[in-house]
Amino acid sequence: MAEINPFEMAQKQLDECAEILKLDPDVAAALREPMREVHVSLPVRMDDGTIRTFRGFRVQYNDARGPTKGGIRFHPDETIDTVRALAAWMTWKCALVDIPLGGSKGGIICNTKEMSPGELERLSRAYIDKVWQFIGPEQDVPAPDVYTNPQIMAWMMDEYSKIRGKNQFGVITGKPLNLGGSAGRGDATARGALYCIREAAKTQGLDLIKATVAVQGYGNAGYYIATLLKNVLGCNVCAVSDSKGAICCMDGLDPDAVCTHKAETTSVIEFPNTECMTNEDLLEMDVDILCPSALENVITAENASNIKAKIVAELANGPTTPEADAILYEKGVHVLPDFLCNAGGVTVSYFEMVQNFYMYYWTEEEVYERLDRKMTAAYHAVYETSREYDINMRQAAYAIAVKRVVEAMRARGWI
Amino acid sequence: MYVRSGIRGLDKAIQGLRLGDNVVWQIDDLSDYVFFAEAFVEQAIKDGRGCVYVRFAPHPPVLERREGLEVIEVDPGQGFDHFSREVHNIIEARGREVFYVFDNLSALVVEWATDELLANYFQVTCPYLFELATVAYFALVRGKHANDVIARIRDTTQVLIDVYRVGGQMYVHPLKVWDRYSPQMFLPHAFNGSELTAIFHSGEAAAVSATASKHPLRGTSAPIAPWDSVYNKLSLYRQMGRGFDEADSETIALKDELRLMLFGSHAEFNHLAEEYFTLEDLFQIRERLVGSGRTGGKAAGMLLARRILMSGKDDSGFDFSSLLEDHDSFYIGSDVFFTFLVENDLFRLRLQMTSDSQLSQEEFEEVEARFLAGRFNQAIMEQFRNMLDYFGQAPIIVRSSSLLEDSFGNAFAGKYRSEFCANQGSPEERMEAFLRAVKLVYASAINPGVLAYRRKRGLGESDEQMAILVMRVSGMPYKQYFFPCLAGVAFSRNLYAWSSRIDPERGIIRLVFGLGTRAVERVGKDYPRMIAVSNPDLRPEVGMEIARYSQRRVDLLDLEANEFTSLPLRELVGGRDYPGLSLLVSVMSEDYPQDPIGERVDGPPGDYVLTFNNLMRRTDFVAAMDAVLEKLEHAYRHPVDIEFTATIGPQGKARINLLQCRPLFLPGHVGEASIPEELPEGSVLFKSDRMISGGVIRDIRYIVYINPESYAGVPSLQIKTGLGRLVGRINEHPAVKEGGVMMMGPGRWGSSNIDLGVNASYCDIDNAAVLVEIAREDAGHVPEVSYGTHFFQDLVEAQVVYLPLYPDRPESEYNEAFFTASPNALLELLPEAGDFEEYVCVIDVPAAAGGARAQVVADPNTQRAVCYLE
Repeated sequence: MAEINPFEMAQKQLDECAEILKLDPDVAAALREPMREVHVSLPVRMDDGTIRTFRGFRVQYNDARGPTKGGIRFHPDETIDTVRALAAWMTWKCALVDIPLGGSKGGIICNTKEMSPGELERLSRAYIDKVWQFIGPEQDVPAPDVYTNPQIMAWMMDEYSKIRGKNQFGVITGKPLNLGGSAGRGDATARGALYCIREAAKTQGLDLIKATVAVQGYGNAGYYIATLLKNVLGCNVCAVSDSKGAICCMDGLDPDAVCTHKAETTSVIEFPNTECMTNEDLLEMDVDILCPSALENVITAENASNIKAKIVAELANGPTTPEADAILYEKGVHVLPDFLCNAGGVTVSYFEMVQNFYMYYWTEEEVYERLDRKMTAAYHAVYETSREYDINMRQAAYAIAVKRVVEAMRARGWI
Repeated sequence: MYVRSGIRGLDKAIQGLRLGDNVVWQIDDLSDYVFFAEAFVEQAIKDGRGCVYVRFAPHPPVLERREGLEVIEVDPGQGFDHFSREVHNIIEARGREVFYVFDNLSALVVEWATDELLANYFQVTCPYLFELATVAYFALVRGKHANDVIARIRDTTQVLIDVYRVGGQMYVHPLKVWDRYSPQMFLPHAFNGSELTAIFHSGEAAAVSATASKHPLRGTSAPIAPWDSVYNKLSLYRQMGRGFDEADSETIALKDELRLMLFGSHAEFNHLAEEYFTLEDLFQIRERLVGSGRTGGKAAGMLLARRILMSGKDDSGFDFSSLLEDHDSFYIGSDVFFTFLVENDLFRLRLQMTSDSQLSQEEFEEVEARFLAGRFNQAIMEQFRNMLDYFGQAPIIVRSSSLLEDSFGNAFAGKYRSEFCANQGSPEERMEAFLRAVKLVYASAINPGVLAYRRKRGLGESDEQMAILVMRVSGMPYKQYFFPCLAGVAFSRNLYAWSSRIDPERGIIRLVFGLGTRAVERVGKDYPRMIAVSNPDLRPEVGMEIARYSQRRVDLLDLEANEFTSLPLRELVGGRDYPGLSLLVSVMSEDYPQDPIGERVDGPPGDYVLTFNNLMRRTDFVAAMDAVLEKLEHAYRHPVDIEFTATIGPQGKARINLLQCRPLFLPGHVGEASIPEELPEGSVLFKSDRMISGGVIRDIRYIVYINPESYAGVPSLQIKTGLGRLVGRINEHPAVKEGGVMMMGPGRWGSSNIDLGVNASYCDIDNAAVLVEIAREDAGHVPEVSYGTHFFQDLVEAQVVYLPLYPDRPESEYNEAFFTASPNALLELLPEAGDFEEYVCVIDVPAAAGGARAQVVADPNTQRAVCYLE
């Protein structure tokens, strides 16, 4: 099977959206390419004294709505087209949750597993040395992504601050908490999804106290959404899974106890007093809410018609194939599309920037409250749009995002 | 039934021989034995008996070849075990009522160094001869063996006769004649060629007896067993002090002799032992040896490695004398093992086990129970008591140290047991626990895994004596527990060089916190830290994976419960007061590990992850290990593999306790293994760009394929467990053995955790030529982690090509259809295996591929491998 070029896929999605919005083709054309790309070459002295040169990118897709925002990936298989596509998706995601940011992405072709901490630090600083003119709190604000972490963000922020001769915490988000990071980042993605689910329950007439939940994947997002749905909304989380299999107990699970079990045994399976099932079984369970939280393409044309959940909350990226999307829409399953459902992360990143500007830091509760407002508004915008245009939730989310970017471009007089 | 001895007078004096009699002649001169044996055989041939002369000694033949006499030569040079087995086989093959003459048994002592083994041999052979209603003649040189040995022989034999000469007159003095009696039977008899006359007159009797036996109540005046004589002589020279010259040729010869007695005659090992061990070293070892016999391979390897490190200079700049912890072990000599077997009627059982080696786990448990019921004799018990008094209540470990173990090419890695003794409680309780540990180690000499391993390596019949190493457990108390801070295994070469930045010519350390059992065994869901000495900072995991692939539980001794146990890390060090904790753990925070800045470790203990990051950065541990490995490899002239414990002292200085050292068998050195460049389209079954051990395997007929997806869907634990056994049965199938087999299964082979892969032990897969771990990265399978475990060692030594296959990667060119669509020959091989047909597919490759067979080429240099049809 020929590999799909991720950037071509992103462009195709945009084209479909442009069709729905009946966009002027010239405008659509202006949206189809990134506005700025920086390619850098990064010589780094390795521990053994040799010099190795790495390649890096920064793609600023669209900054009509404000400084661009997007992660930095350290990956051996990084390509410019992946970075372009991800930068485009960041643009739409930021616009969807209505934060005043554009979208960007960066990457360095490297294998972090083969680098010592010292080498990683030198590589991180070298990247900033080469792109510093193009980033900044008012230009482009990177964040952690694949194989990068708060420590790397701290090194980058420090390097940028040194170049600028002043502390510039706002240049990067995802920093360690003790260096300008924001409270509430740990469960931000799950919490954003939680607010969406709560709002979706209202529009779908679902009583959350009685609602049953199945969570596929029990990593960070899966664990947090299970805990939050149980503890905040009072739902009955009756099934969870990981790569080794699924467990089910219709009387409800204790997500924290399952998490401890997984930490000790590396898997949720064999958790006491539960029935064992496969991941496939879990997806087709007769529950009210299904949260795919791990892998791509788990809901496909083959199993979509068997999905019994009323709400599918996509915490994972791309869990539903386009074919399955159509089937679910036909069946009346209410899908909370990934770039709405998991936008809590970027929203709290934005909050981190804001706090860095303020030099004043919010409590966790304040972060949650503001996130709630953003996610609630975003959900309803998508829901209303889907009704107005008679399109599915994913198409509606795209439509809103693209429309907002186009409006900003028009207001600026770019188009 | 009355049997004639060929000498009328003798028959009269002892009321004749009987079927079942073992007759031991104690002689001063071989010619006397020749006389009686000659007469016996002559008579037997006349009487139409089958006669066998068992020839093994260097002395002139007792019997000349003749019609009616079968002469069989047996070599005692291969050790007690082998010799006893051979004799057993001879007797078994000839059956009932055959007559035997054996060479002079005293010759065996010279060969085996101790009287103990002679008595053991006698004690295992005679009852069997008795059972088969044979009559057998043996000879012993009078006054050259320890009293207790003669006592054991006397207890065992039916007839014991002293023959001696006083003033030119031969006397025959029956000392024991079982189940026969006359008022004059046990008097010395003067012998005139055919008649025996009892010496009843007191004056004559006194003269004869006093001349014949100079030390009637004391031990042997001039023992011939080198075990004592060599040692006594050297001790005497040492006590003499100044004049003692190690370079003296007699001293050198005695030292060589002592060394051979302690360590055996393995050429490669001896070369090193000769170079490095001083006489004082040998004395120290001998003085800590319980019983007699050899110390075994593990003890020998450990002692040698320590001596190598302590000797001479090297370039590393390390002061090895301050780097190495003092050493405190005892050894239970290999003879004690056989004495235990013989005295508890277990030797024959063991003979059966090794020659007919199909033993189920349940059967083995019964055998183990018989071992546990066995007893040690008083002499040994007294030495055990002294040893336990020495250790007091310090925890000890009872480790197998068999003769074959840890020798060049035969690691027997982890085949035999090692038992911890927390060693708490009253002296009686401690002794009981210690004895149990020793007996369990002894029983492990015949566990099914060992038998399979021996068979596979052609060691089925070779001498295997089980010595034991009793070591003080290194570590320190913490709370109610006792354990070392650091422990693990290390290799002087790194075959797990997963990155080109890692130098495979330098070592790798598999490190754990607590007892090293976690590093040696393949523990599911728990991972030792793998440290590449050439680049310690590199690890194949990042972010949260670091926590996932880390050690979660700590093995330790619970002194209150008096047992070996394991505890979750967070529970053990939750109080944050474990000394040096900041060197061991990082704290997972914001999804990445943060190394403690000072000595204090903050954060919730649940977030602690054993990374040993600060250990690597703030101490000289890795550099010290590097130096140790390099020096040992240099001295061995061969890559080595060690077990160790370590602590960190002031100023970050490591102190290492070397527990074991053995030659490391390197995989992939099996000739040319060039990957064929152009293979016909469609012929490739899969490729791999990472291998664990290389080689070339041609013309594989069978592929056992366990489909990862169906394995994941196996509904019951019972079936999953049964799969391992089924693989074992396929492995044993004659057609599979003959045709060659490649086994492919999900996740890890050899894991005790059934979720990580098929629960197969080494003996279940030991006929596989190629082992493939189908690695689904998203499913958490990390095939490489088997490296460094005993299971891996077994595969390497057996030259099994061992590969991971990443089916999801396009470069793997994985021909899944071949594996899933080929007809399943399982039921043809094992018709009763219907329950497993869904999960296990046995592909008869020629049948599935139009006559072609599977070929595997795995090139260790390029780390590339291919499996194709041809």
